[in-house]
Amino acid sequence: MYQGFLSWRFLTARRINWVGIIGVFVGVAALILILSIMSGFLEQQRRMVRGTLSHLVIEPSPLPQVDGTPLPETADQLLATVRSDPRVSSACAQLSWFAMLIQGGRGSAYSESRLSNTHSSKLVGVQIVGVDIGDEFKTTELRSALDPPPEGMSFGHVPVADAEAPFSPPPGDTGESPWAWCVVGQQLAIVHGLHRGSEINLGTMVPNPDTGKIRQSNRKFLVAGTFRTGENESDLGRIYLDRSELHDFLATRRDHSQILVKLHDYDADGESLSNEFSETLSRAGFLRSADLNEVKTWEQYRGNILGAIENEKVLMAIMLSLVLVVAGFSVFAILTMMVAEKRRDIGILTALGGTRSGTLWIFLLIGFWDALLGATTGAAAGVLGAMYIDPIERSISSFFGVQIFDRDVYLFDHIPSVIDPYGVGIIVLGAFACTLLFAAVPAWRASRLNPLDALRYE
Amino acid sequence: MSDPVLIAKDIRKSFQIGDRQIGVLHGAHLSLHTGERLCMMGASGAGKSTFLHIMGLLERPTEGEVFLNGVSAWDLNNIARARIRNRTLGFVFQFYHLLPELTALENVTLPARISEAHGEAPYTLKEAVQRARDSLVKFGLENRLDHHPWQLSGGEQQRVAIARALLLNPAILIADEPTGNLDTATGGRVLDLLLEEQENRGLSMILVTHDPKIAASCDRVIAIQDGQIQSDSGVEIPH
Repeated sequence: MYQGFLSWRFLTARRINWVGIIGVFVGVAALILILSIMSGFLEQQRRMVRGTLSHLVIEPSPLPQVDGTPLPETADQLLATVRSDPRVSSACAQLSWFAMLIQGGRGSAYSESRLSNTHSSKLVGVQIVGVDIGDEFKTTELRSALDPPPEGMSFGHVPVADAEAPFSPPPGDTGESPWAWCVVGQQLAIVHGLHRGSEINLGTMVPNPDTGKIRQSNRKFLVAGTFRTGENESDLGRIYLDRSELHDFLATRRDHSQILVKLHDYDADGESLSNEFSETLSRAGFLRSADLNEVKTWEQYRGNILGAIENEKVLMAIMLSLVLVVAGFSVFAILTMMVAEKRRDIGILTALGGTRSGTLWIFLLIGFWDALLGATTGAAAGVLGAMYIDPIERSISSFFGVQIFDRDVYLFDHIPSVIDPYGVGIIVLGAFACTLLFAAVPAWRASRLNPLDALRYE
Repeated sequence: MSDPVLIAKDIRKSFQIGDRQIGVLHGAHLSLHTGERLCMMGASGAGKSTFLHIMGLLERPTEGEVFLNGVSAWDLNNIARARIRNRTLGFVFQFYHLLPELTALENVTLPARISEAHGEAPYTLKEAVQRARDSLVKFGLENRLDHHPWQLSGGEQQRVAIARALLLNPAILIADEPTGNLDTATGGRVLDLLLEEQENRGLSMILVTHDPKIAASCDRVIAIQDGQIQSDSGVEIPH
């Protein structure tokens, strides 16, 4: 068809057309690159937000059922019921409470100064989590949190002697100390200068639901090593220890506060199994009521934060889409200029048998070539850029002698990037739609021109 | 005499400029027979170009009809008229009007590409290219096939334009001052070429010119003045 032939010739004959193509190229490449990096950051944040949770969280109410039947004090039966479901991969029980960390020995002076300093009071409280290490490893990410941190983030890391049995006394321990071993967050270890064998005092208060009295409880623990989840809140304020040890320390009636459940296919079963468990476990007397939302998916559990992150992504996509609109405007401006220049040629084509729709197609196809060349090369550049963003950033940083991405700030050892093929497709289609829409206006105007004006008065 | 291939009947044309209605043609009549070489003369602004554009189906008359092979062309839709311009009419303009982005060969094959889009191509594109090449070689442009218009002289450009107008063997050739932008010697050569092709192919031709010598080589001469045909060396005026 002559429209395709002429539109290509008109496109390639004028260098100004490359501005439109480059505009679309930059828009598409920037959108893909930035959204991929953004998705990478969000993915990392989701991972951190999920932290050491598993797919489902079952939190039995501390109160008895409506008919007064108390909920079971041990987790064994509940765990067995949950594990019997074929969709469940594994489950573990946790007992968590809050305590105040006070260092023993020379460190106590440091603790005292921190406790008395109103400006650093945020570090007085820690969360103590009792776990069954074997089940925990199968169900949560705690095992990988004990691995050495990535390069550049190992400051403060204290490796546990045996990562498979982190609460066991390390080799060479004389066994004289009566205190149990625990694993502390890496940031917490940095702040308090903890190392393997450091003594810490945990002080807490536990209410007695029968008498209403509050009992104080203190005990020493020994630091076996550190963990790093990447979630600052956990790494700065959490201590893991053996669940039976913590139960003994707290002397609570119930030996668990929550059950974490890992599924074979969270995407397929997460939501439905959460609702199902809520019903069946309530009926079986493990939960207070099906209406109390005692079973949640991890996303429901962290709903507020995830909602904020998703919002952020949508806002970013909307803002970046404006880049494509700008590219569309440049195509519009160039084509408008070209239509004015090509008035005489439109007249010639009419004389040779061309139609109005033929003229419209010529200019619309110029927009199509702009979109095709700009969007495909832009998509390729964006995808390649997203794949190799880390070495690219390192090269640029090294060339200019400036650190563009501070890995310490984000606690990532690399720039995360997730390429979503569906998203890339949407961006490319969006670029096409936007460019064709902006090209349609001058193309339509070209088709409405009276070409004889140019032929008559030249 | 054969039946007229083109009849323009009582053509009137006026333009609206602001509040004023400016009349350009006031009831012009014309008939053109197969193989006839008709010359149209007149002063600038007399209305000959407008008359030519109306007969060439480029501009709609305010009143009147144009019959091409007995069909009232202005009663047809846009696409049908575009097909007639493509297949039945061939245009040669004073300023050549070649597309600057295309080479000489590509400019000549353009009508064939357009007829392909209309779905009634008389030749395949390959055949059209061969015919265009043959024409250009015949017109002495064998070394200019891949040259763009700006690389060609005025005479060469006009020869390319003639080859383009003749590619699909139109029934009628409309030439609007084809030598008006050329020096005398070049213009003479171009005109000889044009007349030779017209005669050899048996085409009808309407030739607009100011040059009485050129008019002398035509079968019939009409003079336009103030939007009306003042004299016709032939006789036939349709009613």
